[in-house]
Amino acid sequence: MSRLRRAIGILWAVLRELADESAYQRYLQRHGRAHCGAEWRRFSEERLRAKYARAKCC
Amino acid sequence: MKILGRLLWVGVAAAAAIALGAIAFLRGEHINSLWLVVAAVCSYAVGYRFYGKFIAARVMALDDRRATPAERLRNGHDFEPTNRWIVLGHHFAAIAGPGPLVGPVLAAQFGYLPGTLWIIIGAVLGGAVQDFVILFASIRRDGKSLGQMAREEIGTLGGFTALAAVLMIMVILLAVVALVVVNALRGSPWGTFTIAATMPIALLMGLYLRYWRPGRVLEGSLLGLVLVMTSIFAGRAVAANPALAPIFTISAMGLAIAIILYGFLASALPVWLLLAPRDYLSTFVKLGVVGMLGLGILFVHPELQLPAFTRFVDGTGPVFAGKVFPFCFITIACGAVSGFHSLISSGTTPKLIAKETHACPVGYGSMLAESFVAIMAMVAACVLHPGVYFAVNSPAGVVGANPGAAVATISSWGFPVTVPEMAALARNVGESSLFARTGGAPSLALGMAQIFARSGGGQAMVGFWYHFAIMFEALFILTILDAGTRVGRFMLQDLLGHISKPLGRTSWMPGVFATTAMVVAAWGYFLVQGVRDPLGGINSLWPLFGISNQLLATIALCIGTTILLKMHGRRFLWITCLPLAWLVTVTFSAAWQKIFSPIPAIGFLAQADKLEAALATAGAAGAATTRAVIFNARLDAAICAVLLVMVTAILADSIRVWAGILRGTREARVMESPFVPSELRPEEL
Repeated sequence: MSRLRRAIGILWAVLRELADESAYQRYLQRHGRAHCGAEWRRFSEERLRAKYARAKCC
Repeated sequence: MKILGRLLWVGVAAAAAIALGAIAFLRGEHINSLWLVVAAVCSYAVGYRFYGKFIAARVMALDDRRATPAERLRNGHDFEPTNRWIVLGHHFAAIAGPGPLVGPVLAAQFGYLPGTLWIIIGAVLGGAVQDFVILFASIRRDGKSLGQMAREEIGTLGGFTALAAVLMIMVILLAVVALVVVNALRGSPWGTFTIAATMPIALLMGLYLRYWRPGRVLEGSLLGLVLVMTSIFAGRAVAANPALAPIFTISAMGLAIAIILYGFLASALPVWLLLAPRDYLSTFVKLGVVGMLGLGILFVHPELQLPAFTRFVDGTGPVFAGKVFPFCFITIACGAVSGFHSLISSGTTPKLIAKETHACPVGYGSMLAESFVAIMAMVAACVLHPGVYFAVNSPAGVVGANPGAAVATISSWGFPVTVPEMAALARNVGESSLFARTGGAPSLALGMAQIFARSGGGQAMVGFWYHFAIMFEALFILTILDAGTRVGRFMLQDLLGHISKPLGRTSWMPGVFATTAMVVAAWGYFLVQGVRDPLGGINSLWPLFGISNQLLATIALCIGTTILLKMHGRRFLWITCLPLAWLVTVTFSAAWQKIFSPIPAIGFLAQADKLEAALATAGAAGAATTRAVIFNARLDAAICAVLLVMVTAILADSIRVWAGILRGTREARVMESPFVPSELRPEEL
């Protein structure tokens, strides 16, 4: 049961990582800021600029 | 316990050998797809446990006491020590694109055996090794990119060739994947409506994530998924509506122009508005569909209808021309060995690896997972009746423009199919015709729809599943188009910035529009060429893509060989030299044949000469179109020649470096960053 819970936990963490939600949490913690729309937009712009400067794989 | 473990591995190896033997030697009856699954999974397990771990322990000497760049350069953005399973998921999502799905479907024209063996053996001994070695090299070099490593380890020529190869691959890749979408949607109001609907859905998601529910990406993606599924159902109603259906029934050229315009607009729009939301959605859909297909194959375990070998191993295939060697090995690149992966292995991934030993499951393991995706695509293609497979994938220029002529030609090859059979199949999936739907996507969608329908929903749901599969393929192809055009624009701006400063500024809109137009014009040209090509476009464009992708793999393996040589001398050179030698042989043979083969269906120059002769004897009718095809054939030959020169140059330069190291006339300093002890605590992972 605990293994199943762990597997689901990892799957959820992968989804959050792919959705950039974990990266956003880290960003907030690192800068000691609270979540708000403007903060997300600031984070997202920087993140997406770097993300889409690289080619996507075939 | 040790004995039990050994016995278990003996059992896994024996299962791999038996399954590989079965798929290789069972003849005269349909084999079950589970044989392919067992052969692949057990071969991967043995490859990972023994070969991957051997490279990790003996060759790379991965050391968890050594701090990785993720720890040393931690900044919360690019560099962040991350749980290995999360990095694995991230890396797999980044490397898995349309390549491992489309390539095996096209290569199935040779039968299931050549492609399947290449996917399994190529991945274990080549693709996974390349990805792993480059990931390791990048981790030990502060997360440096392939281009930077090529410059440092081989020389300026290596760096320049890597950059040029990436640009060429991008242009050809974007054209060929756009052609796959065009061929899948041509004359299909249901499919066209569904794909068109994904654009406002993505825009809505973009606004939702930016203004209404900032940061709720999973929530927004779920909303997007529900809307996309609804649009698939709505597409059926649109296709049945006499007023709406004609609006969404678009010719191949019309679709090509629409995609070119879309590519220009989408890559000039802010990323948060269209690209990013659709990318999130397509990533989740991709992972979900891959998982569903795996479960579906296990549940249904269908029998393969295509034989182990077809007569087309002799090079006369209708899907694309050329013998099984070398063309099977460039048609299936992603899924076996893909040079493009080396960009990912030296991009985001090395900056997330928390411990060096994680590089093995991430680098080697992810490639094996992608290889399994290719096996599933092979199964999906081979569950179709051979006659249906060839009717869908053969261009009208080869089998005849009308259904009667097409079925007569295909049946004469020994793959019986009838017009009523094809009409019933088309009706079942809500299409007007499935003849000459080249490019691989429609036949993959047909195979997937059969597997999904047999898993749940029955034949009544085949149409839905077919369009679901088309949506899934088109969704991430459009994301690649958009992102690829953007990256191409950045590269071009970087280059042109040396000539004119404003052109290099990403904030100067005239410069942005001009460079975007140049990139779109480059891939758009090849897309239009593919649409006009009497042989269907895939015949000329897919080999070019395969050759350029394997060129990049050659560069990556040259870098890997140089690094292994510096680390261990001759001792472990065979690890990278074996796949390198194979790739060089394949790339050279394929490129040479594409230029110089006297058979017009294979050789670009022979095709141009044949058309030239026909032009001289025929009247003026269609002369302009024929001249355009002649010009394109010569252009493709020139591109092949450039790729050939690049392979030669990078190989010659590498051999010069290796000879210098072996003779002792060149410094063999390993350019790794210095050892810093890791201070990461287990709870941080």
